Amino acid sequence: MRIKNAMIKFNHIHLNFNGKIIIQNLSFEVKHGEKVVLIGKSGSGKSSLLGLLLGFIEPSKGKIFFEGIRVDKKSAWYVRKKVAYIDQDVSIGDGKVLDLLNFVSKLKTNKSLDFNISKVNGLFCDFELSNDTINQDLENLSGGERQRLAIVISILLERNIFLLDEVTSSLDKPLKKKVTDYFVERENCTCLVISHDSIWLDNPAVKVFDVEEGKWR
Amino acid sequence: MEIVDLSIVSLALVFLLLTLPVILSLIFDFTLIKPLFYSIIRMTIQLILIGIFLKYLFLLNNTLINLIWLMIMVTAAVFSAVRGSSIKITKIAIPCFFSFSVVTFIVILYLNIVVIPLDNIFDARYLIVLGGMLLGNSLRGNIVGISRFYKSIRNNSKKYLYVLSLGSSQYEALLPYLRESVQLALKPTLASMATMGIVALPGMMTGVILGGASPEVAIKYQIMIMIAIVVSTITSVVLTILMTLRVCFNSYGVLRQDVFITSKTNKIK
Repeated sequence: MRIKNAMIKFNHIHLNFNGKIIIQNLSFEVKHGEKVVLIGKSGSGKSSLLGLLLGFIEPSKGKIFFEGIRVDKKSAWYVRKKVAYIDQDVSIGDGKVLDLLNFVSKLKTNKSLDFNISKVNGLFCDFELSNDTINQDLENLSGGERQRLAIVISILLERNIFLLDEVTSSLDKPLKKKVTDYFVERENCTCLVISHDSIWLDNPAVKVFDVEEGKWR
Repeated sequence: MEIVDLSIVSLALVFLLLTLPVILSLIFDFTLIKPLFYSIIRMTIQLILIGIFLKYLFLLNNTLINLIWLMIMVTAAVFSAVRGSSIKITKIAIPCFFSFSVVTFIVILYLNIVVIPLDNIFDARYLIVLGGMLLGNSLRGNIVGISRFYKSIRNNSKKYLYVLSLGSSQYEALLPYLRESVQLALKPTLASMATMGIVALPGMMTGVILGGASPEVAIKYQIMIMIAIVVSTITSVVLTILMTLRVCFNSYGVLRQDVFITSKTNKIK
């Protein structure tokens, strides 16, 4: 079944977990190039929506569509190849930053991508990470550095759809603006963002969807 | 030279040695006496029974009975491995049984046909003894390996899901955990190999020497059994893990939470 126009579409989604209702009959869609920010109090199911799209969680009822294709056990693997997802805790493991970049670049789906050092250093510079970061241990990076590294990796993946879960929470104001501007200014890129940060919410180019109320703000 | 048999009196004298740990336990209040005696009594009864059983098994030396006994040993090893692994028995018992059986049979048959080689490849003296040594050692490796693999993925679930979100295949996402588990499973065997002959004389070598064989024969058998243990441990751990993936992960590549005996719930925001 194919649904046209919408890049991402949540259709009458219900999600129960351990007998508790997390999401009830939620529907909305994100079109190509749109920047949509999801808001709602803790536990309202914002992160679960990203998990549903990636196939990490299955809905109790309802359908999710990505590029018109229903997300199921086969297409979820395709979705993961097309989106760049950054989790709020940025769990990027241990070892050195270089090891992580090598691991990501060696994944079969990323082999054709350009992970050369000058490009990496350029992005490090854009997001105010020192060139020395590449030789640092991941566990020694601060929360903000981890978030910026995850953003750099998501950009290196050369994908046009970004799922960003509280990616600016540990950044200072100028960096928050830099990150927000980076995504908002790219017309071709579609973003589904979870944030309560005014820098996202007050941006006129952004649409805000209240997950709790189930409607656009 | 034949081995000197131990009389019942001699065996009883061995138990006298236990006076030392008992005295130490009383002085330092180790509260060891009860578990120590429980374990020793249990071991003694088990060994007496198995001694009687093996005596008749060796006397009969019937291929079918030998194979049935080996399968019973495999089954016991599977249950011990599954019980120690914190994974539900219904999820991994069958893959584990398949992996233990296949690996043990292949390695024993290779030893009995190609390496030794025997006229009767199902001879109880070799089939049961070698089977016991292989199963005992790969059992420990499997308990460590399976537990580490699944616990590590559960404890690093965010990292695992992040790798999946990068567009990796399930194999690519699981490979670091498989590597880590196999390395850990093999660690005790590698450590014992490193000190073998210097710090400790291994059980099989001691047995062969006490049985009257020369040290040259004993070391050859010891080398053979250690290589067989390494091979069966690595192969069975890898095979067991690979065979359990289908039941322990869903079609989306996500670890099922209900595979653990004490399941932890996911936190959903």
